[in-house]
This record gives sequence, structure tokens and C-alpha cells, in this order.
Amino acid sequence: MFQLPDLTLILGQLRGGLTTAMFLFLIASGLSLIFGVLKIINFAHGSLYMIGAYIAWYFVHYLTGNSMLGFWSAVLISATLVAVLGGLVERLLLRHMYKVDELYQLLFTYALVLVFSDACKFLWGTQSVSVQRPDALSGHFTALDVRLPYYDLVIIVVGLLIAGGFWLLLNRTSFGRIIRAAAQDREMLGALGTNVSWLYTSMFMLASGLAGLAGALVTPIKGIAPGLDVDIIIEVFIVVVIGGLGSVWGTLFGSLAYGVTLALGILVQPRFSIVAAFILMAVVLIIRPWCKSQYAALAYGVPLTFGVLFLFLPGSVPVGIAIVLAVGVLIAQPWRFLGSART
Amino acid sequence: MKITRRTFGALPLALTALPGAVSAQTGPIKIGVPIPLSGPAALFGDPALKGARMYVEEVNAAGGVLGRNIELVVRDSKATPDEAVRVAREMILKENVDFLVGTLTSAEGPAVSTIAKENKIILIAPIPKTDQLTAPQNLHPYIFRTAANSTSEGRSCAEIMAKWADVKKVAIIAHDYAYGQDINKEFTAHLKKLRPDVEVVDSQWPKLGEADYTPFINAQMSKKPDAIFSAMWGGHFVTWAKQAKPLGMFDAVKNRVVNGGEAGSVEATRALGAEYPFGIIANAYDLPSYPGEPEAHKKYIERIKAFTKEDPPSSWPIMMYIGMQFLVEGIKKAGVVDNDKVAAALLGLTIETPIGKQTMRAKDHQADRGEFYGEMIKDPAGGAAAVMKDAKYIDPAPFMD
Repeated sequence: MFQLPDLTLILGQLRGGLTTAMFLFLIASGLSLIFGVLKIINFAHGSLYMIGAYIAWYFVHYLTGNSMLGFWSAVLISATLVAVLGGLVERLLLRHMYKVDELYQLLFTYALVLVFSDACKFLWGTQSVSVQRPDALSGHFTALDVRLPYYDLVIIVVGLLIAGGFWLLLNRTSFGRIIRAAAQDREMLGALGTNVSWLYTSMFMLASGLAGLAGALVTPIKGIAPGLDVDIIIEVFIVVVIGGLGSVWGTLFGSLAYGVTLALGILVQPRFSIVAAFILMAVVLIIRPWCKSQYAALAYGVPLTFGVLFLFLPGSVPVGIAIVLAVGVLIAQPWRFLGSART
Repeated sequence: MKITRRTFGALPLALTALPGAVSAQTGPIKIGVPIPLSGPAALFGDPALKGARMYVEEVNAAGGVLGRNIELVVRDSKATPDEAVRVAREMILKENVDFLVGTLTSAEGPAVSTIAKENKIILIAPIPKTDQLTAPQNLHPYIFRTAANSTSEGRSCAEIMAKWADVKKVAIIAHDYAYGQDINKEFTAHLKKLRPDVEVVDSQWPKLGEADYTPFINAQMSKKPDAIFSAMWGGHFVTWAKQAKPLGMFDAVKNRVVNGGEAGSVEATRALGAEYPFGIIANAYDLPSYPGEPEAHKKYIERIKAFTKEDPPSSWPIMMYIGMQFLVEGIKKAGVVDNDKVAAALLGLTIETPIGKQTMRAKDHQADRGEFYGEMIKDPAGGAAAVMKDAKYIDPAPFMD
């Protein structure tokens, strides 16, 4: 039987879900951007993230140290180097793949995953390494009995800054207009005199730089070891898919939906932490055609996922049925038909 | 040579006779080593293999076994059961290896064990921990394990936890897969037996490779446990500890955490540096030194330092070192390179390893391998990394059954 947890716990979980969400958004935003503009599903995005983490570790460990200045310069260096690496990959390899079938593109980026993972092993070995938080960021706030580590706050702020930056870039600059145009029709854009080839390179560099930035930013809260690339990519894909492929805001809300579902889901069904995210994805994909927008699908998808989790909790099946039915009714909106019959 | 009908007809005969003819005579004894050398598991596969290589060097320098040298045939198992099985078959059929010593993950071990059974070739599993590997329904004459298993490790951790008299509420965190589930089950059952007054108030089951443990840590802390049993291992332990520390988890339980999964190994302490959650109890298969260590261990550490050029040396080479040692001692005892005879010789065999006597139990083909446990403290010598204080080897023999 499920008992409603107290408010502090729910707040604490929401805080945890928020850091999870922002952490995923940092990585997913670049992936979503590449898909939106280049129409490529870049499996190697996780590898760029891992390389970013290793580079940041390398600089902190051997050169800059983990003072505030040292850490943040390592983060910037890492993001820049990964952006350059991404540029090289796009210029030398990926641009030859735009015309071929999606399946081959997928295979190609998967091949990059293997190459990069062995390259990382070759360069940095197989040992697990990590970066210490700079002293100034190792404390925490306490509010309403919930601890919020400074560093988690940094991740949340950086995530929001990136989301805001994207919005400004896409909607308030001429470069953003060109990007949106490229997403619509790349050939027409080329015919109108825009250098689409360099536009693609710069987008890929931007997205790679974001992956590198995300990798560098997680070094203080994660062990860095081979496997980091593959561990993260599935979650990031879930986020991008439920957010509606290619939309930055969608990715942000997709991340939030994922974070909240994971964090509150383990209060309902601790053993289901693995599947909760997959249930969310399945539910969102299934109900999407009946929803007006991707955001609506997310808004209905989260409670529906909890309904499904309750269905599998002994003693709470009626609760589960009630939630599923209620959300189902909201989605189907049967009263629409009443209205149309009358007119 | 012209292929006539007669030579053609004789070919299958010659082929069938060949492997036996070659391996039973002189030439080196070939030992196949399927071990992950790429991907995340290479973190353990690489250093473990060095232990095997060093042991082979020592044996060959001393004149080999039964007058024959040992040769390792190494293949990357890529940490997947499919690939491990493929390379094991290839080594048996194409390379004519006489024995197998290898596999690392709990998925690879049982998979290659079936190949060992099929081909009647001994497999010594030096690292996989899953109880399934030597469970009665999977046991066969050719499988042996020289690693600890999830039963002995889970119960060792429970023995430690049970000694904290004021602990009444215990929380558990383990990954949701074979090892995490097995060790959790054994820990819980053994703790209940030792301390019926203790209650397990919470279990968290993050997936293997979870990127953010914050929601799990938070949910666990809300149950206000007095102590925590954790089966986080390798890089996962590093991530979990880094995230749990600023959330105040270790303070909340006054560092009463027992962590399996070799969280006390040199690899983990090096990765975490000054961020290690000092004060917890962790375990390790091997340590650079420990109180009352035998002379053989001091010598082993000196050699492995020189061999791997690492100081402090990794705690994983000893796993394959001892695995190889069991096989070679078995061959010596049998006096012949024959899988049936060596398998029989291994039953109940006690050998002198760098960490003292180890016995291969006849009933379940499981060595009585324990681990070192102790409180992790700041290095009193001033180093940045944690060290294990008063490391104690817990012999699992009394509670393995």
C-alpha cells in the first residue's frame, strides 16, 4: 500500500529530479540541435561528452589545479577543444554522410563511438579518475530541511543559461533565422546564397562544444571511466525523443519530465527506477497523436506514467486505474464530440 | 604434394590426431585467457592480466611446470558473454589451449563455463562473483572459482554491520542486476540471522551506470537509517560517493557505511583522492601492505610494483596471479597435463599464495577467498588518498555454506 510521503521528502526529490534534468539537458541540447538542423542522429554525442570530461580532468590534474579559476578555465578549454574536434569530424567525415540512408548514418556515428572510446582508453588509460569540486563550490544551502549543494545549483543555472541562450540565438538573431531556415529546407537556403556547408560545421561545433562543456561540468560529481559515453547516451536519447526531436524547449521539458519521473517514481516503486523512464517514453510516444503539442503529451505523460507505476504496486491498483482513466479522459476529451454534435 | 584420393582420405584422421599429439607432448603448456581488454571492464581486465603475465614469467624462469614452459594465449572478451564464448571456442579449437583461466564479469563467467563443460577443458574463473557460476545446477567437473562470490562477500559485510550494536535500521543501495541482487540477498539474510533486532528500512536499486544518484540518496536518507550497506563498485562507487557527500549522507549515518565491491582498493582511493568518504568500512582484494602480512606478500608487492611500474600497485593483478597459481599447482599435483586428472587434483587443493593459504573446496569448486576489510582513513603519511586502517582479512570459511 502506498503512503503519501511528507512534503520535505517530495521537495528533496524534486530538487534531485531537477539536477538530474539539468544535467541531462546540458548533454541533450546539443544532440537535439544536431538532429534539428543536420537531421543526423549522432550516437557519438556521448563520446564527445566523455572526451570533454577527460580533457577537463587532464587540465585540472596536470595544469590548472582545482581552484575556481583553474576549474573554470579547464571547463572552457575542454568545451573549446571538443568543439574543434567536432568541427574536424564534421568537415572530414560526417559531411560525406548527409546524402546516404539514415541507417548508414547511424552505423557511422556508432563506429565513431567505438573509435573514440578506444582512443580515450589509449590516451587516458582505463583507471577511474575524478576532479575535486573547487573549495568555494563544495558547500551547500539548506532550505526547508532540504540540502542543495552549491555545485548542483551551478549545474541548474548553467542549464537554464543554455536554454535561454538558445532561445535568444534561434529567435532573436539573423544567424538563428538562417538555422531555422536550414532546418526547413537546406537546398533552398543554399540557393539563396547562404554557405550551408559552413553553417552545418558551425552547428556541429556548437553542439560538440556543448557536449564537451557538459562533460567538463560533470567531472566534480561523477567518476570518469570508460563507459561514460554509452551509459549516458540512452538516457539522453529518451529525453530528446520525448521532447520532440529537434526542439530545444522540448528537450528542456523532456529533461524535466524525465527527472521528475525518476525522482518521484522511486518513491512509488523503488525497483522500477530502470523502467520508469522507459514507461514515460512509451506513454508519451503513444499519446502524442491525440495531444495538441509535444508539451501537452509530456504534461499528460508524466501523471500517466505514475498511473502505470501504481498499477504494479500491490494494494494501489485502484489508484493506478483512477489516474490512468482520469488522464485518458483528459486526453480524449469526449466532450468535444458532444459540442460538435450540437452544432 | 599432389592430393590423391588416399592422402585426401587420410586427412580427417590426421587432423583428429593432431591436437592431442601436439598438446600431450613437449612444447609449452598453452593457457587460454579470455578477458576484457576494451570497454569499461578493461579497468579491471588490464591490470588482472598483468598478474597472470607476471606469474607466467616467474614459473618459466624457475624451469616451468613438469619441465615445460607456460604460454598465455590472450583474447579480448569485450566483457560480453557472446564474445567471451566465441574467443574461448576459438582458443580451444584453433590454438589448442590446454586450459582456460579468465573471464571477468558475472555474465561472461557462466557463459564460458558451458564451453569448458562441452570441451572438457578446465576453466578457472579468477574474478566473476555471481553465485550462479558454481551453484549446484551449474556445477561441472571443469569449472573452478578463485574469486570471492556474492555469498561470501555479502555475509562478510553483514558480519561487520552486526557488530555495530546501536544500529537498528539499515538501508541498502545496490545496482539492479545479478551482482547487486545476489549480494543484497545474502547480506540481508545473514544480518537477520546475526541480528534479528535489525530492520532493513530501505533498498534503493539504481541501474548500473546511473549518472545521477541524487534522487536515490535523498529517498534513502528520508528513511533515517542508522547505517548503510552499499554494493557500489568501481567508477560507480566514485560517482555515488561524490554525490552523497555534499548531500550529507555520510554525516547523517555517522560514516557507518559498509561498502562491498572493492571500494577500499587502490583504484577507488586514487580516483576519489581527498573526496573519499573517510570513516566508512570498505573492502579490497589486495592492499599495498597490511598488518601481519606474510613475507611472501611483501615480495609479491615488490615484484608487481616493478612489473607494472605502478606505485601503489593495482589490487587486481593478484586475482589472476592466484588463479594461475591454482592451475599450475593442480598440474604439479596431477603430474600430467590432462584436464580430468588436473580437475581431480584441484579438488580440496590448498596452496600457499601471497596472501596466505587458499583452499579450493571440493564440494562447490569455490576457493575460500576472503577480502580485506577496514576503516578508510586519511593517509597518516600525508598522502592525498585514503588508506585502509587496521586492514583485516575476513576468512569466509565459517559462513560460506
